[in-house]
Amino acid sequence: MRAGAAGLAVWPRWRPVHDNGELKSGETTMAYSEKVVDHYNNPRNVGTLDKNSAEVGTGLVGAPECGDVMRLQIRVNAETQVIEEAKFKTFGCGSAIASSSLATEWIQGRTIDDALSIKNTDIVKELSLPPVKIHCSVLAEDAIRAAIGDWRKKNGAE
Amino acid sequence: MAKRVESAVAAACPGCAAAQEGRALFCAQCGRIQPPPGCDYFTVFGLRPHLNLDAAALEREFHGLSRRLHPDRFIRAGAQEKEWSLADTALVNDAYRTLKDPLRRTEYVLKLSGTWGGPGKEKTPADLLEEVFELNMEVDEARAAKQAGKDERAQRTGLEAARARVAEMVEGLDRELRAQWPAWDAGAEDTRRSAERAMALLVERRRYLSNLVREVDEILGE
Repeated sequence: MRAGAAGLAVWPRWRPVHDNGELKSGETTMAYSEKVVDHYNNPRNVGTLDKNSAEVGTGLVGAPECGDVMRLQIRVNAETQVIEEAKFKTFGCGSAIASSSLATEWIQGRTIDDALSIKNTDIVKELSLPPVKIHCSVLAEDAIRAAIGDWRKKNGAE
Repeated sequence: MAKRVESAVAAACPGCAAAQEGRALFCAQCGRIQPPPGCDYFTVFGLRPHLNLDAAALEREFHGLSRRLHPDRFIRAGAQEKEWSLADTALVNDAYRTLKDPLRRTEYVLKLSGTWGGPGKEKTPADLLEEVFELNMEVDEARAAKQAGKDERAQRTGLEAARARVAEMVEGLDRELRAQWPAWDAGAEDTRRSAERAMALLVERRRYLSNLVREVDEILGE
């Protein structure tokens, strides 16, 4: 699977591996769901917000088991508590990219409290992630929480 | 998951009724095959859990067990013994592959002790994430430039330099890991624990960095 033009900012890293690091044979062609492929080829909201801005919260999280790294940023309207803009950049497999892409799509326009109600299981369901890729959705949920936590810290709420 | 073959631990050898401790593939009394034991990989080969493993001893035990488990020896065996011989063979192969490789061996030990891997473990330190993210960004930019058709040669050189730098970091981590081995092998309980914690951090860091090296290799190979 190759990244389309819009996918330049994200990389494929689809390597089904055992947790001893060994490549699983015969599973390299494991199919992605259509929605994962769609987010992978046309990732929504890839980019960067100014992490030094008081309006911006940044969440940087990683999955040690597979070495994926995910950064999710939000720009929040302090008055309405609404997430007006969300950006991500993920270095990882297709599922990690799709999970973070979907997460930005879901949180934009929501209040931070509302965004915090998003569960990784919602992402799993929407993207039909297989069990071995559930950790990608956990990573996306962690990223949302980390970004909101960072924004709250900056704005003296925590 | 590193599949651990579920052991149907036989309390007693079906052949001679001698009690089995779930530590060996064959009955010590009559030599009859047993179901996969629930012991760790080191014990499968009768070796002491050691990071500074005697490679020759591992090799010897592996070949010995492989010979005893050879399908030719089970042609006339019953269905259950045939099944056990296959399950035991899978266990021996997994164990050998894991222990033979220094990094996998180290990761295995850390997983056994619950220091590393699995859910609910400590989060990756923030500074490590920052560093890995920045390195990824650098490589990403080089990749984008390459795809945009900029001076291919210059990009290649840049990527190769980045690869060399990260590969060197990985080698440094391997040296640090090895430096912890003696403490784990010989240490008292608390020395061992602190070696495990140190190694868990190193292994984690290595995961991120070796992924990065692989990525660069893929780009260079394109």
